[in-house]
Amino acid sequence: MRALIAAFVLGCTMLITPLALAEEPPAEPDGASAETQQGAAEERAAQFVGVRGPDAESVPGGALMLAAYAIVWALLFLFLMRMRGLQRQTAEELERLSAEIRASEGR
Amino acid sequence: MSRVRQSGSSTVWSLVLFATLALFAVTLYAIFVVAPVEQQMGIVQKIFYFHVPSAYAMYIGFAVSAVGSAVYLLKRDPKWDAIGVAGAEVGTLFCLIVLLTGPLWARKAWGVWWTWDPRLTTTLLAGMIFAAYLSLRSMGNAGEVEKRFAAGLALFGLVDLPLIHYSVQRWRGVHPTVITGKGGGLESEMYWALGLSFIAFTGLAVLLIWARASAERQREETARLRFELMHR
Repeated sequence: MRALIAAFVLGCTMLITPLALAEEPPAEPDGASAETQQGAAEERAAQFVGVRGPDAESVPGGALMLAAYAIVWALLFLFLMRMRGLQRQTAEELERLSAEIRASEGR
Repeated sequence: MSRVRQSGSSTVWSLVLFATLALFAVTLYAIFVVAPVEQQMGIVQKIFYFHVPSAYAMYIGFAVSAVGSAVYLLKRDPKWDAIGVAGAEVGTLFCLIVLLTGPLWARKAWGVWWTWDPRLTTTLLAGMIFAAYLSLRSMGNAGEVEKRFAAGLALFGLVDLPLIHYSVQRWRGVHPTVITGKGGGLESEMYWALGLSFIAFTGLAVLLIWARASAERQREETARLRFELMHR
């Protein structure tokens, strides 16, 4: 019984603690930490400037095109391989059935 | 009579195969030699010549699957079920091609691999519906209930096809509309390359559906024979 109560208390604690922490309001920054935060904010980017000229992002069109055509041929090839596998399975099954029919007729 | 029909069918198959292979060779020449490089996007625009006809082949596959499924639900003839499966598989193959080649173009054109544009989203939805169809059919030997449920799913997927097609016209999106009435069109060499590609992909879709349906019918027939042998 004591173990059950202990487990219940532990379970409640584990459930409530994250909720209580989530509800806890953020602590007011003191002087030193406020300065640190302000310094960090100043280090952040305050504006975005676009890159001009040869430094601009270059997406390799040729490589993308080659990849697209390679995907088409690869998928078609895989599909044909799958069909070949399916036909091989059917042929093997037919072979087994023929053997079984021959065996049953021989009996 | 059956042998004559089989021989005729084999001849037509060979003719379509050789015509498609020849067309693919001519199409590749038209794409990379005849059609000019696009002014804004550069060489990556050449993805368009395989991407758009793949989407068209996807429509063919899914529509064939829906028609096969509808007739199967009416007649319960396994031949139509095989056509339904073949259409779904080939449609999903081309849908995968569309969904993989599109982002490669988009990365260059839009700067992102994917965006939730109406056409992209509805195409993904169609792919997911038919992937569900194929998952259902791949669960061992599909029984009558699975076949009927999958047929219903294919008909549900058919509803999505007009949504994909008209999404660029009805809803605001970023997908290009160069070959619709709204677009500025293509240069004549580009039209030629695209037209040839459309014909080549139609031939390829027909060949793949034909071969897959034939393989599925043989598989079903073998399963039926096995069942009869076991209960003899």
